[in-house]
Amino acid sequence: MHSTTYSDPTSLAVHTEGLGKRFGARAALDGVDLEVPRGVAFGFLGANGAGKTTLIRLLLGLAEPTTGHMRLLGHELPGGRAAALARVGAIIEEPRFHPHLTGRENLAVHAAARDRSAQARIGGALERVGLAARADDRVKGYSLGMRQRLGVARCLLADPELLILDEPMNGLDPAGILEMRGLIRELVGEGRTVLLSSHLLDEVEKTCDLAAIVDLGRVVAHGTIHELVRGGPRAIDIVCHDALDAARLLAAVPGVSRATDHEGSLRVTLGPEAPVDREIVSALLRRLLDHGVAVERVAAVAVSLEDRFLTMTTRLEDRI
Amino acid sequence: MPDLALISADLLKLRRRGGMVSLTLLGTLGVVALVFTVLAIQHAANPAKYGPAGGLENYRGAIETVGLLALIAGVIVGGTAGTQDIESGVFRDLAATGRSRTALFLSRAAGALAMVLPIVLVTAIATAAGSIALRADLAAPDAGTLAAGTALVLAAGALSTAVAVGVSAVVGSRGPVIGILLAFFLGISPLLEVIGLLGDSRQLVPDVALHRIGDLSTPAGVHVALGIAIAVVLGWIAVSLAAGAWRTKTREI
Repeated sequence: MHSTTYSDPTSLAVHTEGLGKRFGARAALDGVDLEVPRGVAFGFLGANGAGKTTLIRLLLGLAEPTTGHMRLLGHELPGGRAAALARVGAIIEEPRFHPHLTGRENLAVHAAARDRSAQARIGGALERVGLAARADDRVKGYSLGMRQRLGVARCLLADPELLILDEPMNGLDPAGILEMRGLIRELVGEGRTVLLSSHLLDEVEKTCDLAAIVDLGRVVAHGTIHELVRGGPRAIDIVCHDALDAARLLAAVPGVSRATDHEGSLRVTLGPEAPVDREIVSALLRRLLDHGVAVERVAAVAVSLEDRFLTMTTRLEDRI
Repeated sequence: MPDLALISADLLKLRRRGGMVSLTLLGTLGVVALVFTVLAIQHAANPAKYGPAGGLENYRGAIETVGLLALIAGVIVGGTAGTQDIESGVFRDLAATGRSRTALFLSRAAGALAMVLPIVLVTAIATAAGSIALRADLAAPDAGTLAAGTALVLAAGALSTAVAVGVSAVVGSRGPVIGILLAFFLGISPLLEVIGLLGDSRQLVPDVALHRIGDLSTPAGVHVALGIAIAVVLGWIAVSLAAGAWRTKTREI
């Protein structure tokens, strides 16, 4: 599903075409086409080993692609890498720091590699992520959550147009997750683009405007969260007596692809040819009532991003 | 190219390693202070048996030892400077700023030199001061000898620091680099010097070049011109830094 296309690649925050990376015989990325517009939170979803971090490493120049082309903030890579990365802040895999330095000193070390204005942003960045009070403590005493926040502060030193955050919710407690979600939305509200790689599907659904799902090195779906969720099969849960008989009866209704027991109710999965909800629900109820099956409750199943993710990606057991 | 901000950042990373800084100071300045103190006490307690702690000959012996201490200090600081970004995982984030990896590597070398050279210079000055102040009735080292001794110490510090930064960028791990280079400078290099079969090629051995710069005779009596000795030291530094820069540039992280 590539629902939205952008004609001018220079207007995109990230644009890849046929991007591939092989490690020997194994393809970590295989012909990835990706378009991340500016000013949005973009989720990059995939199971462990799907290729998320490899893509990030290629974008940041930490590894070289085997095939394909990339553009970052309108700059063709690798030629325009320095200019592009000057306005990119990134956390790769997990935020790493010199443990013997304080949070403030770690930011100073990073700012030295940026332009001169980065040093002046250290105080503001620490304030923004709520670490000002602990800024002069050594990082070896920080929790994982504090290091995540210091990682975001480090990203902000570049006054970034694009932030690439790899699993930013890792190690955060529920309050920290809420804060991080708010911070990401705040950054997007300022016109920045956030590319968020995560396995926490619920977080991506709540935080991002668009997402891509990657599986075995390929992008298998790409669009707004709404489009991704909507693209999945519709389903209806029915609570009734004699669910086994009911399942047999409903499986024969045109438009039904499957009827199975699901946590005490009957889940009816509809095929793409099924009519609109009003008509199909009427048909299902009529079928049950005509055969003397008493119906207690009917509810449409809200399909989540997680459901879509699971239908589109390869299960672990299938990879072995 | 590296700028002052990058070099200052690398120096900060080294300065904040309290254990390493203490060890380096103790292993250089501390050793010199201890040796002169012990020799001075011995001389004061029994002048008939123990000569003065200073004087020209004592200076020559002391500065040769300080040269060895400078080699050790350079290996420890250079090995740390060359690997601390890689081992902590921070190098990936620094490279992701778009900054030239060569500049990042060269700033490590400059930062390490900025730490080692002042320490070994102060140690050389302390050695000279001790040799003059505690000479009693012995001849004091002349200006030429002092200059050669100081040059030896600075060359030893610069050589081992640069080689350690370069090799550690290639290897990527501090422990093995420090072990290998200490074995090279303290064991293998002096050993190569005495293998007569190697002939004039021994002029390329760092130990030979450093002795010549210090105007000290080598154990095996290998003769080398001062210009060649300086070129050998600069060659070792250049090759090590080039190897380290190449590996830093091509490393996938």
